[in-house]
Amino acid sequence: MQLVHLTLYNFRNYARLDVDLPAGAILLQGANGQGKSNLLEAVYYLATTRSPYTSVDQQLLSWMVVDEEMPFVRLEGRMRREDGRHKLEITLIQKPANNGGTARLRKELRVDGLKRRAIDYLGSLNVVLFRPEDIDLIGQGPSLRRRYLDITLSQIDPRYRSDLSRYNQTITQRNALLRQLQETGGDPDQLAFWDETLVTVGSYLILRRLQTITRLDELVATLHPSLTGGIERLRLVFVPRVDLDHLGEGQNVAQLPLRFDPQFAQTFALPSLGLEEIAERFQRQLYERRSLDLIRGVTSVGPHRDDLRFLVDGVDMTAFGSRGQQRTAALSLKLAEVAFMREETGESPLLLLDDVMSELDERRRACVTGIIGEQEQVIVTTTDLADFPAGFPAGGALWQVEEGRISEVSRLE
Amino acid sequence: MSAIAKPVERLIEAFSRLPGVGPKTASRFTFFLLRGSDNLSVELAEALQQLHTDVVTCQQCYNIADESPCAICGDSLRDATTICVVEEPLDVVALERTHAYHGLYHVLHGAISPADNIFPDDLRIRELVRRLEAAPVEELILATNPNLEGEATAAYIQRQLAGKKVRVTRLARGLPVGGDLEYADALTLSRALAERQTA
Repeated sequence: MQLVHLTLYNFRNYARLDVDLPAGAILLQGANGQGKSNLLEAVYYLATTRSPYTSVDQQLLSWMVVDEEMPFVRLEGRMRREDGRHKLEITLIQKPANNGGTARLRKELRVDGLKRRAIDYLGSLNVVLFRPEDIDLIGQGPSLRRRYLDITLSQIDPRYRSDLSRYNQTITQRNALLRQLQETGGDPDQLAFWDETLVTVGSYLILRRLQTITRLDELVATLHPSLTGGIERLRLVFVPRVDLDHLGEGQNVAQLPLRFDPQFAQTFALPSLGLEEIAERFQRQLYERRSLDLIRGVTSVGPHRDDLRFLVDGVDMTAFGSRGQQRTAALSLKLAEVAFMREETGESPLLLLDDVMSELDERRRACVTGIIGEQEQVIVTTTDLADFPAGFPAGGALWQVEEGRISEVSRLE
Repeated sequence: MSAIAKPVERLIEAFSRLPGVGPKTASRFTFFLLRGSDNLSVELAEALQQLHTDVVTCQQCYNIADESPCAICGDSLRDATTICVVEEPLDVVALERTHAYHGLYHVLHGAISPADNIFPDDLRIRELVRRLEAAPVEELILATNPNLEGEATAAYIQRQLAGKKVRVTRLARGLPVGGDLEYADALTLSRALAERQTA
């Protein structure tokens, strides 16, 4: 798929932007703070209805309009897919504060002029974003990795999105009920409905994560060696919180060893279970842990506790990876995601690379340059053109970004 | 010191506590009443007073009514062998508008939602079970909302009635009449497909 035109109003430092986007590579060059990352953020937001940088949509409002009566942000994209051309629109309007409360942004999503709920809007435009902060995906806590899986799968699988939203609502309700039962007693059979719902929708989440990680693991097996000159072997390991009978004697799902021996990694080639087999295990374990959950007042088993780990030559990168290793692993993951999305949807996602070259050595840069050249459409930011080979991007566009304005420049060789 | 007369300020404040009404709308309401003739203000004042003195809860179906039993429960022409369970009084109004239902109702006044501190005991579920024990019916139609909380409530009621000799049914979920298939959301459409009927 390809984004052919982008219009922004009051988005970050873009008061107004109206730009045609060519296929292939677009290289965005500019000094710090000119609006390179903001442009990638806008495209990402148009695709996912979320910012990778903030959960507070107010921050997207250009500071030039925040004092206006009813400030708004507007993003419009015209795109081309296998099934034809489409128009995407997102409008955020700030309503004045009511009763001394805080001002609220109203978000409106439209596809081809028709209002859509987020759950139906997602998946219209698919993107994969790499940014320097993605190092946290490897180095920080499991919630970031679950969020990553959720955003990836939500883009390509409508059932995943609706089951995920239902799962999250159910967890909130079940935990509230557990606390109530803990405090004032009552009939634990009230849990039956929530347990059943949790198993029905949660098993699908587990199944899709299992399939996705298995496939991404296969894809990084060829990608990562080319990034590292064949030195490192990267494995992605799904760590489900529901025991899928994948563990050996004496191993515990809650405690992942920090160092895997190769044979142990083999046991992590998870069994290819079907939906019913996962549901049966989830249901049994949820029931077995019910009395414990009642004491703690939280749901202790389920995909809300899943994790994804990255092993290089058997060593867990979350605990022991160097900065460079973590960064390269994150990049491999994102590049594998591009191929994965293409397999799943039949369309190439739009690739967004924010400051990808910094901290990469010569070999990795050459490899990334090659991958950029293969994309249907990719937007790359850089402060320094010297990070790219002369004549790059061949057949693509070179854009200069300055204070929220974009100008096309022809490259002098 | 306030720049505005106390009674005016008090009414604006009261209006703005209503759902969907902000300070601007509240001021507009207030000044409209102030400038207009007395009639509307008096009418409003009376209506507001009667709202709490003259409205009762029907002791059979728990709908809000002028008297107990309410007009529907007291209507001997209605089919007393069927009870339709709804969340709110407004749901009764909606169903009555269809003119297609001739049985009785039972109003729960909410749906189970532990996160909002609403548990089965906060709803009229015990009253429903007692009502069925006192006067058995043939069919109980569960017409709670098709969302998570409504489904939890329906499931809970169903469990309470396990072993009782009553046919329990649920409203069908599917496409809106007069709607376009291509504009239906994926979840509604997949449910309509799953619960399709022989043509």
